[in-house]
Amino acid sequence: MRGLQLDQLTRQVAGRTLLEGLDLKVAQGECVALLGPSGCGKTTTLRLVAGLDPLSEGRVLLDGHDISHLDPGQRRVGMVFQSYALYPHLSVADNLTLGLRVRGIPTSEREERLAQILALLQLEELRLRRPSQLSGGQRQRVALGRALLRQPRIMLLDEPMSNLDAQLREELRPELRRLLTSAGHPVLYVTHDQQEAVGMADRIAVLDQGRLQQVGNPRELHHHPVNRFVASFIGRPAINLFPPLAGRQLGVRPEHLQLVPSDGIPARLLRAEWSGPQQVLWLESAAGLLRMLWSPTSLPPEQLLVGWADDAALAFDERSGERLPCCEPGWNRDLIRSLQQ
Amino acid sequence: MNDQGTMGGKAMPLLLMAPALLLLALIFLWPWLHYGWLSVHASSLLTGLKAVPNGGANWQRLLQDGRFWQDALQTLRFAGLSVLLELGLGLLMALSLHRPSRGRGVLRALMILPWALPGTVMALGWRWILNDPYGPLNGLLQALGGRSYPFLASPGTTWAFTVLADVWKTTPFVAIVLLAGLQSIPRDLEEALRLEGAGSWTLLRRLQWPLLGPYVALAVLFRLAQAFGVFDLIQLLTGGGPAGSTESLALYAYLNAMRFLDFGYSATLMVATFLLVVALSLVWLGWMRWQGARG
Amino acid sequence: MMRILLLCWSLAPLLWQLRTSFLVGDVLVGEQSQPGLSPWTLANYRLVLHGDPSLIQVLLNSTVLGLITTLLTLILALPCAYGLHALRGHLQRSIHAGLVGAALFPTVLLFLSLLQVARSLGLANHLLALSLPYAALSLPFAILLLQAAINDLPPELEDAARLDGLHTLQRLRLIVAPLLTPALASTGLLVFLASWNEYPIALTWLSRSDRLTLPAAMGRIASSSVYTIPYGPYAAATVLGSLPLLLLVLLFQRWIISGLTQGAVKG
Repeated sequence: MRGLQLDQLTRQVAGRTLLEGLDLKVAQGECVALLGPSGCGKTTTLRLVAGLDPLSEGRVLLDGHDISHLDPGQRRVGMVFQSYALYPHLSVADNLTLGLRVRGIPTSEREERLAQILALLQLEELRLRRPSQLSGGQRQRVALGRALLRQPRIMLLDEPMSNLDAQLREELRPELRRLLTSAGHPVLYVTHDQQEAVGMADRIAVLDQGRLQQVGNPRELHHHPVNRFVASFIGRPAINLFPPLAGRQLGVRPEHLQLVPSDGIPARLLRAEWSGPQQVLWLESAAGLLRMLWSPTSLPPEQLLVGWADDAALAFDERSGERLPCCEPGWNRDLIRSLQQ
Repeated sequence: MNDQGTMGGKAMPLLLMAPALLLLALIFLWPWLHYGWLSVHASSLLTGLKAVPNGGANWQRLLQDGRFWQDALQTLRFAGLSVLLELGLGLLMALSLHRPSRGRGVLRALMILPWALPGTVMALGWRWILNDPYGPLNGLLQALGGRSYPFLASPGTTWAFTVLADVWKTTPFVAIVLLAGLQSIPRDLEEALRLEGAGSWTLLRRLQWPLLGPYVALAVLFRLAQAFGVFDLIQLLTGGGPAGSTESLALYAYLNAMRFLDFGYSATLMVATFLLVVALSLVWLGWMRWQGARG
Repeated sequence: MMRILLLCWSLAPLLWQLRTSFLVGDVLVGEQSQPGLSPWTLANYRLVLHGDPSLIQVLLNSTVLGLITTLLTLILALPCAYGLHALRGHLQRSIHAGLVGAALFPTVLLFLSLLQVARSLGLANHLLALSLPYAALSLPFAILLLQAAINDLPPELEDAARLDGLHTLQRLRLIVAPLLTPALASTGLLVFLASWNEYPIALTWLSRSDRLTLPAAMGRIASSSVYTIPYGPYAAATVLGSLPLLLLVLLFQRWIISGLTQGAVKG
């Protein structure tokens, strides 16, 4: 089987479980994003695949070979760190070729591969510069080049955009994606930014507290989240979660909230925020703070009644957060009624 | 976040550390085993320099040795006063170096000169300065209309000047440590206080002194331990005199070994001195910790 | 104002030695100089430079010993600091505490045992053999200083190097050591100074006059004549002996102070 396979990957340190029972497959040419809040285990996963940390249980298989106990240098893995981790005392060229030099690759071949990478990433003019003389975007390219130069069988990226400003991030995103996918390697991409995950990856794996919550393409995650956590993590503005009732908790996304003439929840407008072509309305109601989308062709009223289509709501088990298979219309009515006092 | 470290376990790190630790064990640990052994043997001219076991005889002698206890007291007084003065003077130096100015580099270089030069080099220099009647200090005294005074012949002044000479040499070390502490205080805090109209004294009392706690503790700990083992200065400046009034424990141990050739007893003295240093350090650490817990 | 006072305080005794070194012996003891003859002279210097041992030889001894000690110390301390940094948990903390204790130690107490070792191994009067205990005396704070510097390096650099396939010694040689150059310089200077300053061990190990280090030579001059100490020549020796270190301090004060400062901050 080609590509990356993670089999029940687990890591425990000093009694704490950083990652538990992760099963994941990344196919050739596919980019999977590891998404989740800080401490969810995404960086841990990356380090386990790279071999930087030892695993407690499970296996890492690359192109069918079990690499779980190999040294990082033996795994044919390319990694780009959050801080890029370029060697400050070496030039760009030396940064790129240190790994090759150490492996005893002959000079001629080294030079050839170096030339290729420099051309690919447009770094030729910078080859003699030190990292301190490069801009953020240039350093990212060098870090990428260093990873690619080793002809890895998988690429690992740890929040490679987080050190760049927002505008640069947006500009570089398509470029980075093109580079990664054109080489045909499987790619694991760690980020805490949803937008970035959606923009870069074919599939997204959402993690929380060391456990995999759900893996799928952005659409699946958005429309069919398996639990409350995924539902609230994916989608901006975040889903509105109502107070639980009868052991169930309903959630309705802002884009599904609408003005209703009757049988709705009374709410008062607090604030209207611009978000691209639409406005996000912040409403105060008996259900707490609600978010609703509004197209700015008219002014939003001060007092409103909000409701939603029967099939637009998601239902979750109050305790476990698991998504209940379908949402009965009766539940919607019960909830609205309970909030009308 | 790694339980095995970057070298895959403990084996490699220990291997890297082995040569250094080996040398350290040889030079730092072996002597104490040796001394311990020697201290329960008689090894002197009387035994023809061979080591003959004599049980706790050396230790009994130690406990009744007036000179030992006298020296211990003298060394403690010396260390205590020395460190106290160094702290005060060192703080002044640190404060004056803390203010930015041109030529600060040269200033610092010149101020650490006394510390950087070997103690032996200036020890005799001090003897000359204090010389009666030809030294410059007496010259000054006479110029002011007084009579020349034999500074090194009277216990009181000898002791005072020994402390002075030690303070002169080692204050820069304390100053640098305190300077490090001052520089670690965030600028914003200093500026905020100055904006409120705080003068230098207030700044010192309210902000700098409290935050210097760990640095003061470190400097004092270091200096106390070092001062307790004072040797170079005493041997060359006063030779322990007059009449043994400035003799330090280290000097006494040295004399026993090199002049009286009583190795067994010398070893006993070394061990005793070491134990006193450890005790002193623990007392200081304990006091610091108690202070820290209080406020 | 305070600075001027402190500066005077620091330099006055040394400047007085400078003055003394140029005076004729008689003038020093208060006799009037002969009419027509200047009280100033270079005789003291001549005496010291051509004496036995010549001060030049002594300074050379101290310098060579200092360099060897510094080299030895750094070669032992760097891998040790790297290993200490990579070690985790209780073992690391214990060894660290032990090193701090060793750094505080009044090392004069070791001289007897070391002397007996030297005598039984026939190493007394071997100048270079002295570098072994000297290196050991400097190792504790050298290791602590270098370990602190390694701690300051970004941990991801180590990760990147491991991914590049560098094993431990290669990482030490190609990544850690080059990046540690300032810390190595500071540490080296402090070790060199300590080696020049050491007295009790040199005093007891070295008896041949051509093998003396500066402190040992000074000690010998001081104890040579009980009644009349040659203050003039001694002052000349002081001045000449101080010159090399003075130069070192003036040129490298930044590094020396940074070494001490780092030690204080991390201590």
